[in-house]
Amino acid sequence: MPSGAPLSIWDLFQNADLVVKLVMVGLLVASIMVWAIAIEKLILYSRTRRAMDGFEQAFWSGQSLEELYRALASRPTHSMAALFVAAMREWKRSLEGQPRSFAGLQMRIEKVMEVTIQREIARLERHLLVLATIGSAGPFVGLFGTVWGIMTSFRAIAGQQSTSLAVVAPGIAEALFATAVGLIAAIPATIFYNKFVSDVNKQAQRLQGFADEFAAILSRQIDERG
Amino acid sequence: MRTAYTISAIGHAAVLLWSVWSLAANPLPVSSTEGLPVDLVTVSEFSNIAAGSKDAPKTETAKPLVEKVAEAKPVEDPTAKVVEKKEVKAAREPPPAPDSKPTESESAKKQAETPPDPIADALAKEEVKKPEPKKADAKPPTPPKKPAPPAPKFDPKQVAALLDKREATRLAAAGETLNNAPSLGLSNGAAAQLSLTELEALRALLAQLWTVPAGAKDPQELVVLIRVKLNRDGRLAAPPIVLTSGASPLFMAARDSAIRALFRGQPYDMLKPEHYEQWKDVEITFDPRDMIRG
Repeated sequence: MPSGAPLSIWDLFQNADLVVKLVMVGLLVASIMVWAIAIEKLILYSRTRRAMDGFEQAFWSGQSLEELYRALASRPTHSMAALFVAAMREWKRSLEGQPRSFAGLQMRIEKVMEVTIQREIARLERHLLVLATIGSAGPFVGLFGTVWGIMTSFRAIAGQQSTSLAVVAPGIAEALFATAVGLIAAIPATIFYNKFVSDVNKQAQRLQGFADEFAAILSRQIDERG
Repeated sequence: MRTAYTISAIGHAAVLLWSVWSLAANPLPVSSTEGLPVDLVTVSEFSNIAAGSKDAPKTETAKPLVEKVAEAKPVEDPTAKVVEKKEVKAAREPPPAPDSKPTESESAKKQAETPPDPIADALAKEEVKKPEPKKADAKPPTPPKKPAPPAPKFDPKQVAALLDKREATRLAAAGETLNNAPSLGLSNGAAAQLSLTELEALRALLAQLWTVPAGAKDPQELVVLIRVKLNRDGRLAAPPIVLTSGASPLFMAARDSAIRALFRGQPYDMLKPEHYEQWKDVEITFDPRDMIRG
């Protein structure tokens, strides 16, 4: 590198120590993961929200639950529809089975819906832990790269017997670049993690509310038939 | 999930490319300042006198006379003979320049005109003989036989010059580097360059005229500070004002001698009228430690 030339980002990476290079590459991969997860989750949550809105509209439109079940049961469903399908399947099995077993039906339906809610939340929360890890560990990893890089450049100073700023500056710039990459990866990860956790909580509450309402409706049906 | 990763990777690649192309750090703008030349001017350039010979031509860099490499020791009179032994100051005056030397006929005329002075006559003979010193040494000195009836004037110095047959000798001039061609300067100068301000010339003249009383235990008590006001023609404009005070008789002697020196030295021709503003009102320190060398 000619001395005095401005340091581009590629120069910063190319002249860095091997450990610092590994740190930078790892942080770059982490940043790619963070954004991939973020994009995926944003699409998933908006799709889930739209699906919930559509299902609630259909559920409260006065349409027969049997028809709704038949329309939904044929293909795999998610979130609220999955909840409805699981509860209806359990209801239908209990009604069509010989002898009819009404005793404990209420409890079984609630259990099934609870399991479905857990499964749905687990699906929504998948990969969020990666965001949390990168958000908290990214700065530390970058800082490790910086410390290592500064150590290397100080060794270079000791070797050159010269302490001029021109000798120190490139090494320290490379080292600080590692922290910058760490922060670039960690800041979006933290922001997206917080946003997604609150989104998941909102959707879980919505599912729980629907499950309670549907359980109440089915409980009334059981009491009327029993 | 795969599409999300693809989008993310493409986005990162785009950002990295953009930063590589556009985020190159610009070097700090450094405004070039013009260098300011600085010269160091020492006092010795102006107020010290070089060591050398009085009649040598002036050169750019002064060179003292050095015949022997040793601790620096200048010689008083470079014309005297160099010996290894003790220095001898002959009473004889150095011979005058050849052109001013009176010839035999002229001295004969003088003898006719003026009353005969046997000592001066003998002295003149000695001087004529001087170019052949070997012969002079071989001959015994001719004492004045006939006593001059009208003794013109008793001058012990002339008598001593007649009696002292020794050649003036001196020790070899020592210095750091050998040099047989001394440049212009004084034999007791110490500076490397020849330069003398007008005030230093005034000081040198006053130091010659000032008689330091001998026997002072403490030379500090002989320091006399005198304020002198001068006219444009180099004469005293007012009586000198003594600024230091002392009670000892030695101080009073030194003070009176300094005032006498100030009166005797005028007019001070070395002070140029165009620099009158610099020397119209000066304070001169008569310090035996500084002036003893003259």
